[in-house]
Amino acid sequence: MTATATAERTGAAPSFRPGSKRQHEVTRLLPGPLLACILVFLCALVLIPVAYIFLASVNSDIGVANGEFVPSTFSLENYGKIWSSVGLATGLANSVAVAGMTAVVSAALSIATAYVLVRYQFRGRLTALRGLLALQSVPGTLMVLPVFVLFSSSASYLGIQVIGTQWGLFITYLTFAMPFSTWVMVTYLRGLPRELEEAARIDGASNVGVLVRIILPLSWPGIVVSGIFAFLLGWNDVLFASVMTRPESQTAAVALQVFGASQEGGAIPLYGQMMAASLVCAAPVVILYLIFQRYLVGGLTAGGVK
Amino acid sequence: MTTDSFKDLRTAPRPSAGTPAPMAGPAQAGRVATAGPAQAGRVQAAGPGAGANPGPDGPARLNRRPARRKGLSERNRPLWMLIPGGLLMFVIIVVPLLLGIFMSTLSLDQYTLRKWVSAPFIGVENFVEALTSSPLLHSVWLSVSYSLIAMVVTLPLGIAAAVATQNSFRGRAVVRSIFLVPYVLPSFVVATVWRTMFQPDGVIDSALGSVGIDAGLWLNGPQTFWTLVLVQIWASWPFIYLLALSGLQSVDHEVHEASALDGALWWNKLRYVVFPYLKGPLALAFLIGMLHHINNFTLPFVLFGVPAPADVEVLPILTYVTSFQSFRFGLSAAMAFVSLVLIAIPLFIYLRAVKLDDAETPGGKK
Repeated sequence: MTATATAERTGAAPSFRPGSKRQHEVTRLLPGPLLACILVFLCALVLIPVAYIFLASVNSDIGVANGEFVPSTFSLENYGKIWSSVGLATGLANSVAVAGMTAVVSAALSIATAYVLVRYQFRGRLTALRGLLALQSVPGTLMVLPVFVLFSSSASYLGIQVIGTQWGLFITYLTFAMPFSTWVMVTYLRGLPRELEEAARIDGASNVGVLVRIILPLSWPGIVVSGIFAFLLGWNDVLFASVMTRPESQTAAVALQVFGASQEGGAIPLYGQMMAASLVCAAPVVILYLIFQRYLVGGLTAGGVK
Repeated sequence: MTTDSFKDLRTAPRPSAGTPAPMAGPAQAGRVATAGPAQAGRVQAAGPGAGANPGPDGPARLNRRPARRKGLSERNRPLWMLIPGGLLMFVIIVVPLLLGIFMSTLSLDQYTLRKWVSAPFIGVENFVEALTSSPLLHSVWLSVSYSLIAMVVTLPLGIAAAVATQNSFRGRAVVRSIFLVPYVLPSFVVATVWRTMFQPDGVIDSALGSVGIDAGLWLNGPQTFWTLVLVQIWASWPFIYLLALSGLQSVDHEVHEASALDGALWWNKLRYVVFPYLKGPLALAFLIGMLHHINNFTLPFVLFGVPAPADVEVLPILTYVTSFQSFRFGLSAAMAFVSLVLIAIPLFIYLRAVKLDDAETPGGKK
C-alpha cells in the first residue's frame, strides 16, 4: 500500500519522463547479459533458416543435397528457371487473383455485417457473435469433403461447373475468411464514436449512407487488417487448392508442391529452384506484413486468432 | 479466466452533458429513444438463461412492442446487410457441416459419391469402424500430444521474447520484425524449407555430423513425430510472443515503480509482479494455439507428403488420406466428426471466456 502511494507521488514528479534513463531503469525486466542472450538466441533461431532459404536458392542442387549451408557455387539462374519448370507464373497469377478478390470482397461484406452486429440490437445477435468465433475454428479438413461434394453437385444438378475453377476457390476462401474478417471489423467498429453517425442521421442520411459516408472513411485501418487476413488465408491455403484445382487454375501453394512430387523419381530434386520458388511465394506476404505491421499486430491480438 | 487482450478495445464514449448546444436536443431525444431497445435487449439476453419469460418467447415480445415508442435503432434496422455474409457462411460452412455429418452415416466410396444422395445408409457403422479398426485413436493421441508438446515449448520462448523486447533498446523495431518472420511465412513455405533442411545428408545432418551426432532419419520412421514438433515450434512461438506482449503492455507503470522502490530482484519482479498480468492473454494463447495445432493440415502435409509416416498421421492428415487416397468418404466424414468433437473442448472453453460485447453495449453479457 505504501509502495503504491509513493509511486503515485513520484509519478507526478517532473523528472519522470517516458524514455528517460531513470524510467528505463525502473521498467527494466531483465538484466543486460540475459537480455542479450535471449535476443541472440531467438534471432539466430529465426534468421538461420531464413538465411538458408536465400543461400540454398542460389546454390546448385548437388550443393544443397550435400548439406552445404554456404554455397560453393553461386548463380541466380534458379530464379529464371522457376517460371517455366512448374508453372509458378500461372500459380502466382492465380493466387494473386483469387486471394486479392477474396480480400476485397470479404472486407466489403464484413464491414456491412459487422456494422449491423455492432450498432443494432436484434434477436440472435449474441449467437451470431459467438458463431463468428466458433466458425473460425472449424477445421478445414472437416469441410473440404462436404464442400467438394456440394460443388460437384452444383455441376450435376444446376449445371454450374465450380470444381477446378478459380470461382470455386474464391467462394470457399471468401466464406472461410468471413468469420475472422467480420470479427476484426466488429472489434474495430466498437471503437468508433456513435455521435458522428447520429449527426449524419439527423442530417437525413440513410443506413447505407451512414455506412458508406461515415463508417467506411473512418475504418480504413480495420478494413486493411480484415482484407489482409483474408488475402493471407487464400494465399496460404494448400488443402482446398490441392483438391479443387486443375493445373491451369492451381495456386502458387500447389505449384510449389509439384517440386516435392517431382523428387520421387530418384534424381536429385530441384532444391535450388524449390527454395527460390519458396522465397518468391513468401515475398508478397512478408512485404504486406512489414508495411502494415502495426495495424496487423493490433488486429491479431484483438481478434485473438491467426 | 480473464481475456485481457480484449480489454483494450476502446469503448464508444456515450453522449454526455458536454455535447455542443445545437446537438443537445436531438441527441438527447435519440438517447431516450435508444433506451427502449436496449431494455428489450437486456430482457432478451436474460430471458433464456433465467427462464423468466412467461410462455413462449416470441408472442410475448410481439405483444409488448407496440405499447412502446419504437427506438431509432429499432425502427429502421438494416438487417438485410447481414444477408450476403450470413447466406455465404450458411451455404458454404453450415450446410457442408450438416452434409458432412449426414455423409458420415453413409457407405460412401468413389462409386457412390457421384450419387451420394442415394448412397446406402449404414447408421453408425462408419463410427464403429473409425473407432475400432482404423488408426483414428492413434491419430487423436498423436494430435493431442504433439499439440501439447509444441505448446509447452512455445510458451517459454514466446514469453522470453516478449519480456526481452518490452523495454526499448537500439534496434528493437528490427528485432520485433524479425521475431514475426516465422509467423508471417506461409506454412507451406516453412514446411518446404524445413523439408529440404531435414533431407538425409542435408544441411541439418551435416551440421550435426560436424559435432559428431548421427541423428538418423528425420522425414521417415519414428523420429518424424519430433520433426513435426520442432517445425511447429519454430513456426508458432511468435503467436505466443504477440499475445504475451499485449499482456505486458497492460502492466501499469506504477507497478514497475512500486517494485523498483521495494528493491525487488528482477526474477522476483517477473515472477510475482509481471507474470500475473500475463495469465489471461497466455491462457487465451494456449487455447487458440491448441486449436491451430490440432487443425494444422498444411505443415504435416507438406513436410512429409501423403501417405504420411505412421508417426505423424495426425487427425487432419488421416482424414484427408481416408478421403482422397483411400476414397472411403463415409469413414472420413466420421473421422472428421470425431475431430470436431475433439476441437469442441478447447473451443467451448474459449467461447465461454471471450467477452462478446462491450460492458457499455446494451444487451451485453459477460
